[in-house]
Order: sequence, then C-alpha cells, then structure tokens
Amino acid sequence: MSIQEKVSSLFRDNNRVAVLVFVLVIIAPFGYSVVRPVFTQGSSTDEVFLDIPDEGECVRETAYMRYHHMDLLKEVREDVIRNGIRGEISVNGCRECHTYRGQFCNQCHEAVTLHVDCFGCHYYPESPEDSVRLESGGHDE
Amino acid sequence: MNRRKFFEKSGAALACTSCVFGLPLLSSCSAREEDGSGPLAGRRWGMVIDLNRCADDCTACLDACRQENNVAYHEDERWDIHWIRRVNVSSEEHDDHSEKSVLLLCNHCDNPPCAQVCPVQATYKREDGIVVVDHHRCIGCRYCMIACPYNARYFNYLENPDWPNKDFPRRSHGVAESCTFCAHRLDQGRQPACVEACRATGNGALTHGDLNDSSSEVSRLVAEEPVKTIREDWGTAPKVYYLGL
Repeated sequence: MSIQEKVSSLFRDNNRVAVLVFVLVIIAPFGYSVVRPVFTQGSSTDEVFLDIPDEGECVRETAYMRYHHMDLLKEVREDVIRNGIRGEISVNGCRECHTYRGQFCNQCHEAVTLHVDCFGCHYYPESPEDSVRLESGGHDE
Repeated sequence: MNRRKFFEKSGAALACTSCVFGLPLLSSCSAREEDGSGPLAGRRWGMVIDLNRCADDCTACLDACRQENNVAYHEDERWDIHWIRRVNVSSEEHDDHSEKSVLLLCNHCDNPPCAQVCPVQATYKREDGIVVVDHHRCIGCRYCMIACPYNARYFNYLENPDWPNKDFPRRSHGVAESCTFCAHRLDQGRQPACVEACRATGNGALTHGDLNDSSSEVSRLVAEEPVKTIREDWGTAPKVYYLGL
C-alpha cells in the first residue's frame, strides 16, 4: 500500500482525524498571532509608537492622529484636489515638525506591516542625509 | 384578514417605506458637486497665446513648467513628458507650406473627452473649468490619452529622477498626467508658472485669467482680437485661445 493510499484510507475510515487536521490548518495562523507576543517579548506596539517632536502642537490631538491620521489626510486630499480648498493641513505641513519619515512614519508602519505609498510622489526625506542627497540633485530610492 | 389581503397590505407597506428612505438617498446621489455652489464656482480659467509675440527659440515657459511641476524628462522621447510643448505646424491651406511654431498644452476643454472616458473618474473638470487628474485614483488605463484629440496627455512609464520643486508632488510610475494650469498656484491667487516666466522674458505672449470676469485681460483679448482655438469643429470647446494661428 502506497503512502498516498494509506493517507486517503485514514481519512476515509476515520472522519475525526480529517476534521481535526482541517480545523488545525484553519486556526493555525490565528493561533500563531495570539501566541507570538509571548515568545517575542518587548515588541509590543506601544513601544514602537513614534517619537513626538519636542515643540509645537499637532493639528489634532495625539490619540486621534495616532489612529486616524490617514482619515484626516484623505479628507484633506478630497478638499484640495476636488474642491481646490488648500487649508493649513498638508503633507508638506507634517514635515515641518515630523522632519524625517524614517523616525516618524516608517518605524510604526513597519511594526504594523502597513505599506505607505505617499512618498513615491510627496517629498518626505527618509533621514537627514537623504534630504541633503536630494538637494544636490540625487535620485530618490 | 385572509392571506391575499395580508400580502397586499404588506406589499404596500414595503413600497411606502422604501420610498420614504430611498428618495432622499437618490437625490443626495445626483446632487453631488455639480450644483455650482462649491468654492471654485463662478470662475472659468482660460489662456490666450499670442504666437506673434512668442519667440521661436525661447524655452522660458517650457523650462519653468518643468521646474514648477516636476515634469519628467528622461532625454528619451518614448518616456519624456511635456505639459507644454513646442510643435512645428505646416499649413495645408497655403501652398508654400510655411511652418509655424505653436505652443501646445492641455486645452482644458469645456467638454473634455478625457474626463468622459475615464473609468474611475480620476480625470474630471473642476468647477472653475480646469481639467485635472486625481493621481491617487488613476489606475493608468490610458483611455484619456487615446481620447484626447490634442495629444496633451502623457503617461509615466518611469518615475521622474529629478525633483526640483519639493513642495509639489511628482507622479509615481503608472499614472497619466497633463497640464493643470498650475491649479495649486491659482488656488493661492498666483499665476501659472509658464505665464510668469513668459512675462519675465518681456515677450508677454501668454495671458491667463478668468473668462467669466469681463474686466480681465483674457476676456478682453477673446472678445476683441481674432482668436482661434484648435479644431473648434470637434466640439471640445477648448479654453486655450491662439492669436496669429
């Protein structure tokens, strides 16, 4: 009897094993994400939160910006592009306090594995050196 | 109540409630943005290009546009993007086939074919008549490039390697683009970069302004001078007028 036949007979003859295997396969990814923090200590998202600039006040309070900055940016985007209202909030405005995206964007976005594609088009230096490189006419990315 | 009555009455009740909740929804859908009450309403931007005053070897407006809007230039004509470009046109009417150098840019048509064909409404006409692309929404299908009779649209096959104006975004690869009449400058009450550059050279061939404002220089030129638009017979109703074409 070949292995393939053995496996298929196991599943045919013993439905419980089949159901167990099926359920395990389904819940494995969920189980992994639940168990992972126990093994990877010290990487809770609280600690990954970004540096806050020393001075000044943001356009909204920190708690709102932390979780909803993308909604705010989308609202502003709609106003600017569709209605021509250029208010105080803009990506360029963010840059005035949150100077580098390596420190203020990427760190958190990497922790939550979210890819941002704002910076393909909107200028935002990754690090202080990057800014210098671009000023001298270099290529980005 | 018998079964028949019950079905009749419940059907009627269902129809009534769907009307009550459905009609406001319908009206809110159709009344979006087209009511002419937005902050841009009332204006109608247009441009007059005086070809008699435009010097053939001058590139001031072309360079200014590239600098202002981060328009990609790869030194390869397959990928180069031109929001405004110089084209030599020969006349079929005259026998001498004399060539004329003409500046071509997006005509910001009142009936923009590019906006009509855009499947995701990324290209659209603002309330002040400027035809722009929402690059966040553009899927890069290039229908607008096919639809535009003036070949004013270009596609970003490559990302722009240079970034002269950091305050203005460049375009990522895979979206279509064309002249925006420098909408970002107009919103701040400034003139388009090409017009400013042209004025700085002293030629003053480009004039930009509000066609709805009868006191503006543009409306005066359109009203008094023998201006032409390119291929008026297509019915696109362009808002870029030419003198001496």
